[in-house]
Amino acid sequence: MSSALDLSMFNRFSVTFRKGDIIFCEYEPGDTFYLIQAGRVQIVRIIGDLEKNIDVLYPGEVFGEMAILEEAPRSATTIALDEVKALEFNRENFEVLMMGNPQIAMKLLKLFVKRIYDQKRRFLILTLDDMEAKVADVFLMLAENQPADPNAGDSRDFKTTVDDMSHWAGIPPGQCREVLNHFVAQRRIELHPDRIAVKNINDFARFVNSRRKQQEK
Amino acid sequence: MSPKAVQYRANSIIYFKGDQSERIFLLNSGKVSLSYVDIETGQEVRDLIKVGEFFGVKSALGRYIREETAVVLQDAAAMVFSVPEFEQVASKNTRIITKMLKVFSNQLRRIHRQVQNLMVSDEQVNPETGLFKIGEYYMNNKRYGQALHAYKRYLVYYPSGAYATDVTNKIMQAEEFVSKYGSGAPPASSAPSAAPPKAGAQPPPAAAAQAPAAAGELPDLAQAYYNAVSLISQEKYTEAYKAFKKMLDGGADPEYSSKAEFEMAKCLFYLKQYDSCIKSFSAIAQKFPKHPDMKDALFFVARSYEEKGDKARAGGLFKKIISMGTEDDPVVRKTKKALRALEEKS
Repeated sequence: MSSALDLSMFNRFSVTFRKGDIIFCEYEPGDTFYLIQAGRVQIVRIIGDLEKNIDVLYPGEVFGEMAILEEAPRSATTIALDEVKALEFNRENFEVLMMGNPQIAMKLLKLFVKRIYDQKRRFLILTLDDMEAKVADVFLMLAENQPADPNAGDSRDFKTTVDDMSHWAGIPPGQCREVLNHFVAQRRIELHPDRIAVKNINDFARFVNSRRKQQEK
Repeated sequence: MSPKAVQYRANSIIYFKGDQSERIFLLNSGKVSLSYVDIETGQEVRDLIKVGEFFGVKSALGRYIREETAVVLQDAAAMVFSVPEFEQVASKNTRIITKMLKVFSNQLRRIHRQVQNLMVSDEQVNPETGLFKIGEYYMNNKRYGQALHAYKRYLVYYPSGAYATDVTNKIMQAEEFVSKYGSGAPPASSAPSAAPPKAGAQPPPAAAAQAPAAAGELPDLAQAYYNAVSLISQEKYTEAYKAFKKMLDGGADPEYSSKAEFEMAKCLFYLKQYDSCIKSFSAIAQKFPKHPDMKDALFFVARSYEEKGDKARAGGLFKKIISMGTEDDPVVRKTKKALRALEEKS
């Protein structure tokens, strides 16, 4: 879709970043957002002593769009993986872009829809009281976000780590590790350096549902 | 296929919570309400749809199950769209999309806050410390170009912050390393990176062997220069001017004396001494006709004329700067912005 867009009218918003350049840092106040025209952009977060890859974005994709909503600090760091050409927008010229380019507007609308659902899903995890149920519900969320593998049966493989799990569950990493170790002892999961294997995702679904029902009483 | 007009009787249900459907509705007449459970309070909420409003958009666009039940309160008529039909209509009338973007952005903001409220645990990092730590991470991992960027952003936002002195020193080190060893390792593009070896802010061992004296130390002159530059970033222009003057008077080597002269002229601009600023930059231009920062120098001269009220001269200079560089040159971008502002004023 992006290749079909004629964006020449937006040339005055064009910016270029060299390979390896930081486009913006996490925690920086932000008032601009970007539409990639060429090159890849990596989204990372520094957690402790680790740089975590959150995502890699390609031409046609938008990033930094939360800046349209509020001037909150950036929630991740973005780095140009190649020489990156992008259009840079802010709240003032945002409407100009939207009016002149319904395809981008529609893309942004769909992105917002996804963000709203992701946040709502996350909220549901956080409202669970039980620590084990929170962690189990993170597995369910991850399963919902990955395409179903018809050969997988009840088992699921997640490319995730203890730190990621603790982030999503909103609990300290130490506690998260304890819960995961407990699941390992119960033979419900296997911990690998680069992934976590869940033996029976439906078992976790039943567990989370029953905890949620108990809580509602 | 085209959108269909459909009539609904009072007390009927258009769709139920939990349904999956890709239909989007536009209410033409009558009364429809959406009822759902508020995730924060657990209370049942009813929102009335106004005539002319779309509903069922989010679940259709995102292919999620319906989150609410749409109940007809009074006989109603609605247009029913498939997702492609909706996209077609909306693309011809972007106001529909911009209006929805506003609604969705409000919803997103609200849910974002609700999540943040529940995340009080260990997630709350003060942005100042957070930004400093990003610089530290890249510095420790010898990615000097990225460290430099993060540290410089820090000084922009927190010129007199808790880490400002530290950051100023780190910038000096990082600049030194970048000029010696390049920007550092490229960013890792693979998924979750392995734990990097703990490294201090020293240069790579092999390079250090070639330059044994340079392990993070800078010549006094460079130190003095960067200290003065940091005063500019702290908006202490008079002190910065004095510090540069002291360097010049002390007989600095040509590299630093030309840099210092340049920075002094900049200070004069910030100190609103526009005539002196123009004079200083003109002298620099005569002495160093091929100065690498000539566009920057002209920019300050142009801005000085603007401040003095000589818009014609300022505009002419702005245009000259733009003709000297390329589209993506930051000075050119800055100048274009300044020129637009100037033209809007006049």
